Amino acid sequence: MTDILVQTGLWEDTDTAVIGSWLYSDGDVVQAGAVIAEIMVEKSSFELTAPASGILHIGAAEESEVAAGQVVGRIS
Amino acid sequence: MSVGSNASQRLWMYAVMVKSRHFEALIKPAYFEGKTPVFNMAKGPLPGEMHLSDGQEPCAAGVCAHLRPGDTVMATHRPHHIAIAKGVDLDAMAAEIFGKATGLSGGRGGHMHLFDARVNFACSGIIAEGLGPAVGAALAAKMKGEDKVAVAFLGEGAANQGAFHEALNLASVWKVPVVFVIEDNAYGISVSKRDCTAVMRNSDRAAAYAMPGHHIAGNDPDAVYETAGLAIARARAGEGPSLIEIETIRLEGHFMGDAEGYRPEGEVDRLKEKDPIPKYRERLLAEGFDVADLEAAEAQAKSEVEQAFAAARAADYPDPKEAFDHVFA
Amino acid sequence: MSSPEPVMRKIPIAKAMAEAIGQEMATDPSVLVMGEDIAKLGGVFGTTTGLLDRFGPERVRDTPISETAFIGAAVGLAASGMKPVVELMFVDFFGVCMDAIYNLAAKQCYFSGGQVTCPMVLMTSVGGGYGDAGQHSQCLYATFGHLPGMKVVIPSNAYDAKGLMLAAIRDPNPVIFMYHKALQGMGWLGTVKGSITDVPEDDYIVPIGKAKVVREGSDLTIVSLGAGVHQGLDAAKALAADGVKAEVIDLISIAPLDRETIRASVAKTGRLLVIDDDYLSYGIGAEVIASVCEDRALKLKAPPRRIAYPDIPVPFTPVMEHYVLPNAEKLLGEAKLIMETNA
Repeated sequence: MTDILVQTGLWEDTDTAVIGSWLYSDGDVVQAGAVIAEIMVEKSSFELTAPASGILHIGAAEESEVAAGQVVGRIS
Repeated sequence: MSVGSNASQRLWMYAVMVKSRHFEALIKPAYFEGKTPVFNMAKGPLPGEMHLSDGQEPCAAGVCAHLRPGDTVMATHRPHHIAIAKGVDLDAMAAEIFGKATGLSGGRGGHMHLFDARVNFACSGIIAEGLGPAVGAALAAKMKGEDKVAVAFLGEGAANQGAFHEALNLASVWKVPVVFVIEDNAYGISVSKRDCTAVMRNSDRAAAYAMPGHHIAGNDPDAVYETAGLAIARARAGEGPSLIEIETIRLEGHFMGDAEGYRPEGEVDRLKEKDPIPKYRERLLAEGFDVADLEAAEAQAKSEVEQAFAAARAADYPDPKEAFDHVFA
Repeated sequence: MSSPEPVMRKIPIAKAMAEAIGQEMATDPSVLVMGEDIAKLGGVFGTTTGLLDRFGPERVRDTPISETAFIGAAVGLAASGMKPVVELMFVDFFGVCMDAIYNLAAKQCYFSGGQVTCPMVLMTSVGGGYGDAGQHSQCLYATFGHLPGMKVVIPSNAYDAKGLMLAAIRDPNPVIFMYHKALQGMGWLGTVKGSITDVPEDDYIVPIGKAKVVREGSDLTIVSLGAGVHQGLDAAKALAADGVKAEVIDLISIAPLDRETIRASVAKTGRLLVIDDDYLSYGIGAEVIASVCEDRALKLKAPPRRIAYPDIPVPFTPVMEHYVLPNAEKLLGEAKLIMETNA
């Protein structure tokens, strides 16, 4: 099991970060390095990539607020 | 220096700039309503695009101070400051932006397509599209022997569009009472003026079309007032068109939601220090205007805007079937 | 020994387009890309993200707001051995530059008797539904499809987008590549999930001029393009619950129109329904229906129907805009009526 972590150091702590969208569904097979979600911070977007290959398990739902370093899902 | 012979005009300009800025200040949070946590342009009471005019108020105030309701103004996709300075019905304008039945066109046009026939104001979302109609309105005035003028506002990016060159040429060939006003805020969307314009000053292009070209630096309402006064008087006297280029500043993004990655670090903060409204206030006070008069003007301007927004929020949406009305007269 | 599985990842249409252009620019030095805000910004709709960094400002050019000039220039570039990919930011802006498109690009090959071709791609955003009002929400499929000499395509998903773009750049003809804003994958505008699909990393083509049957059925043919394909698929799912098996066709190409695939489907089902979001009169529905009805061999079980945007400018206020926009519910309602009718 590999944790999917929201990136750190890319935006201010005071800014609100949200999962804009997941590009895959829960249970899909994803490749390491593939962009799996888009994180929206104010008006900018950041790509969240899969840290490993395997089955995606989504933790944080779309439109939910997330913090830098937070675990938002897992890959098994 | 005394308060001067055009004191009432200057106070009017200050009030109209405050009114315009307060209007934008209320639009901003309304625009972001419903668009969080994820910014989705389609959501909220103000869907679609929004182009705010913060910083550009002197251009509208200085020019429109010389205009009457019978004069035509064609504005751009960034129209609020110009509409307010022209005297567009504020309640109906706010309602139109909110898409309500009491809006200028019952919600059909929205923020980029504001029309108020009472004061001959219109705006358009297509770059440079308003220039041809301004020439036509000016020709109509000339044919009818009226001393009306037409003013077309445009951005510096629009000066690279074909319609600009055609309209200026035609205005001179027909010798009509039109004034073209360029609001140079240095950027199209992300492209800076120097990266896409062959000349340093668009006012130099006036020579190619046999009309005077004026360049105004400093985003100064008094300087705009003076130059616009000359150009508009020239037009009213039947002497033909002019081009005015005003160096102004755009304090917000091109559109709301613009991440502005194309602006150099610190640029917006530096621009905020040049905000023309507090600077003009300081100047008026330094030149002997009574602070009570300024405060009264501010209070009046703000209350009109607040009232317009309250009315807009409270108004009903139109019956959707009315979408089919006014396709044809 | 079988070849390795192509590496797939899900990407939105914007990325698929940028990837295609980038891949072709890497292998073909005659390809360049230009338009407003496409260099530094990567395109207002993300179509050229990353290209400036990879290929530099000579081949990735921000233009002034001068559509007639730079699209005209693209025609000249295409006649001179280059392959320009040009962006017209909103299809609604075609009014300021249509001459360069329909009178120059589209007629270069014909007027020269084949001596001079025009291998140019004009990519442009279409579609509304998010409050951008009458001059920023149009589709104009029929306007462009109607005029001879240019190919017109519109992908409904990222897989097709990449393959179509590669095909378009390699095509010696001018190709108008329309991309629908509701499918684009921009963070600041909602995106239909079905448009984000698996896209191979390597080279492949989706041929221009071929429609796809994206869902098979035997009772009713639903024809659409772009965002409408997803509405058709939604409606087909709902119809299946009622025991109606709808076949959904994604046109992909507006011109050349794949009449064969449409006719073959209607020959099977006998019932035809077209949905698109361009203006109704003289539109996509009209052309598809005429193409079917004029086929002497085809027997229809019910009069064909079309759903489109009415012949009015796009209104700003959402209550009006959403009232008039075609959607899956309207499609479902019309489909049920067709199933109940007999010719």
